[in-house]
Amino acid sequence: MLNNKDLYRISKRVYREGILQGQLQSAGSDQARFLEKIDKDKMQRSPDIILKVMSAIYIAGLVTIPIFSLITIHSTLGSGIDSSWVTFVGGLSISGFLVMQPAVLLIFSFMFTWGLMSGGPYKWIHTLPLGKKDIERIGFFTFLRSINVQLISMSLVLPAGIVTSIVLVLGSEISVLSLVLLIITSIFLSIINLVFNLSLLVIISRKMAIIMGDQEVNSRKTNIIRVLSMVLYMTVSMGAMYLIQIAIAKIPELYVLQSWSAGTTNIVNIVLSILPFPFAGGYLLTIMAMDVSNVSGVLLGSSILGIILFVFLTYLVYRKALSTLRKITSTELKKYSKEKKEVFVEDIKIKTNGPTIAFLKRDFAIITREMSSVMILIMPFMIPLYMLFIPMEAQQLIGSAGLTFVMIMALFYVSMVSVMLVIGLTNIESGGSTITASLPISVRDQVKSKLPHFLVTIPLALIVAMLTKIGTSQFIIMISFALAFLPVIPIIGLASLFFKARLFGKMKHKIVLEEIKNENKFVKHVLVIVFTFVLMGVFIFISAYGFIYLGIAEVVAAILLYVTYNVMFPKQ
Amino acid sequence: MTTEKSAMVSVTNLTKSFGTVVAVNNISFEVKPGEIFGILGPNGAGKTTTIKQILGLLEQEQGEIRVFGLDPGTDDIEIKRNIGYVSEDPLIYKSMTPRMLFNFIASIRGMDESETTEKLQYYFESFEAVEYYDKLVATLSRGNKQKMQVIAALIHDPLLLIMDEPLTGLDAKSAKVVKEILDLHKERGGSVIFSTHILEVAEEMCDRIAIMDRGKIIAMGTVEELSKMVNKVGADLEDIFLKLTNQDESVNHIVKNLRNMMNCNKRS
Ligand SMILES: Nc1ncnc2c1ncn2[C@@H]1O[C@H](COP(=O)(O)OP(=O)(O)OP(=O)(O)O)[C@@H](O)[C@H]1O
Ligand SMILES: [Mg+2]
Repeated sequence: MLNNKDLYRISKRVYREGILQGQLQSAGSDQARFLEKIDKDKMQRSPDIILKVMSAIYIAGLVTIPIFSLITIHSTLGSGIDSSWVTFVGGLSISGFLVMQPAVLLIFSFMFTWGLMSGGPYKWIHTLPLGKKDIERIGFFTFLRSINVQLISMSLVLPAGIVTSIVLVLGSEISVLSLVLLIITSIFLSIINLVFNLSLLVIISRKMAIIMGDQEVNSRKTNIIRVLSMVLYMTVSMGAMYLIQIAIAKIPELYVLQSWSAGTTNIVNIVLSILPFPFAGGYLLTIMAMDVSNVSGVLLGSSILGIILFVFLTYLVYRKALSTLRKITSTELKKYSKEKKEVFVEDIKIKTNGPTIAFLKRDFAIITREMSSVMILIMPFMIPLYMLFIPMEAQQLIGSAGLTFVMIMALFYVSMVSVMLVIGLTNIESGGSTITASLPISVRDQVKSKLPHFLVTIPLALIVAMLTKIGTSQFIIMISFALAFLPVIPIIGLASLFFKARLFGKMKHKIVLEEIKNENKFVKHVLVIVFTFVLMGVFIFISAYGFIYLGIAEVVAAILLYVTYNVMFPKQ
Repeated sequence: MTTEKSAMVSVTNLTKSFGTVVAVNNISFEVKPGEIFGILGPNGAGKTTTIKQILGLLEQEQGEIRVFGLDPGTDDIEIKRNIGYVSEDPLIYKSMTPRMLFNFIASIRGMDESETTEKLQYYFESFEAVEYYDKLVATLSRGNKQKMQVIAALIHDPLLLIMDEPLTGLDAKSAKVVKEILDLHKERGGSVIFSTHILEVAEEMCDRIAIMDRGKIIAMGTVEELSKMVNKVGADLEDIFLKLTNQDESVNHIVKNLRNMMNCNKRS
């Protein structure tokens, strides 16, 4: 048996191995060049750090919710509003925070963890003379490493939020005992929550890794399940975030908007507070913040019961997560399907398509099996979802100005989707294989296969987004706005694609889609993003002078783009 | 292809370095139609780097390469139409099945469906790989992946085959099939460049051999010519190889040391 410190050190190698395997896989036929770079460039060696820090910051940003809630609770308490109602809204909003934590963790950390969950990086560990228990613990440490920065952020958020709000306002208003209780509760909750969220992440990433990596027969059914479950994952997690954000925005209104009698509220409070996740924690914290004297003993009791249940639930989930980790580190991973499909020579048949269709088919096969590229397929679908939620808030903004604002935000959102598509689609090209490396591929055909995404999918998504507003008074304005900007969308996307190709790809006299010139990768990516957004900004600016000018700009841009296309990717 | 009948591939003063490592150092050679050209050399000698440059997969640095009289840096598409390439490690799209893969290849190469189907069936049968046609590439064994690569390189009847250790991972029977195919290919006037570590194979198959060491070609010619160079008539390729790469002395030395060490640490 080795001690934990040694095992933790070993887990670093496993983690690096996992990262490198991922990078190599996506480098594909470009491996030689990639390895040449990685020797020189430290940044290439830890591509995860930027994303890690970003997600940690995002998680830290959630701190505003408890601060905001606690302060509102206190300002409303004295104003004659029924305390059971304050408890209700406070409990709800803090529970919202507790739900959002795992949601954000999942969305942002999935990319790191699911590679590890496939078990690949652990294979060589088995060649070392290590005990089973040791390997299990290495598995656990490796997992921790993959989200260490996020974890630190996550465990600090709640106590930090509480302390901040105490310093800001509460300090002078409540008793020392309550303050101490509040801080202790927040630390306790933070710890339980951490374990709970972590375990959840393990279990869900593993499920996804199994679904994605289902290696057996490639039937249509498994493909559909794969795509559906990914769409579901993205929609649910993103949708949950939107919903919660909106809920948060509405909370101040809710505090003064008591809808039921105090008696009903009391019962609702008690029932909710027994539910272990997320309400028990939300309620307990609210109760502590309200000074226990303001709360009924029954409610205190029920929320403590809820917390005990939560601890128990966490224990169960934790056990499940541990056994999941155990399975991952064992070598046997794949699930084999029962029925054996016999293949005969006659079944070998070639079906050819034009090159563009062939590329599209290949892209689909790859995209649906790699989590990192699944985003590409999903992103456009998020546009309607965005529309569904955002305008609700905008109605509070006055009249047409608010509407314009919403539409402009939607357009920038579309730009973001375009950039992500550009980056994702070109990544597929770079992650080629040695077989593609030897194929006579015309770059023009390659580019053509990317066009449908920009010419059809995104514009269609915007139209669908507008259709969700059918029947509302703003529908006509919104749909005409969207139609006027429709040509801008492919223009933006393609300009961004060409720009990225120009920055990254050149081999002798022609420009290729693969990322060949990899130096200053980060700066170049930022440039592509800025370029796209500025371009969208220019169009919006022009449209302020009237749609007629927008139309002219669109025609000019389209012609320029077509010329660029022919110059950059000439017919062979 | 009409430009230079005499040479399929000509490499002149080619140099390529990675940072401080000079992987290929000023080498020149030619490969003629109907010739199997072997590149031999110890690990890290620069064989793979040379091959990748010929295909235009690495940025060219110094020297000149002509394949069918064309420059791989600019005319890579035209060149690739007539080349079959087997790379050192079989990196095929893992998330595709051979079915998807070959449909993709045939589509990109614009090949005829029924004709290709026939060839593909023939190759899959010869390599006993029919049952893997609908399996994900990720699940195939090393050797079966290699078979996919080899078939993909042959399927369009290319003029020139470039194979970087094509026999790695193949079982005896499949290796034999590959060798037969290469011989047939040569008889039809095609050329082959292939790198290998297996000296018997090189001796048996190659018309001419270039021996590389530390980026340089230190000797080139038929086996007879090479054996003359080491003043040993009838010497086999192993002797020649070790002698030329100055490894004969050091191998003896290593073997002696190994003996000593293992004798000291005899198992009790
Ligand atoms: N992408 C790269 N980045 C840095 N150095 C490289 C790269 N590719 C090759 N090298 C170096 O160039 C030299 C030649 O490598 P190459 O792969 O051509 O050798 P090889 O003859 O094919 O060896 P082997 O018999 O092991 O396949 C080696 O020293 C290697 O370390
Ligand atoms: Mg090699």
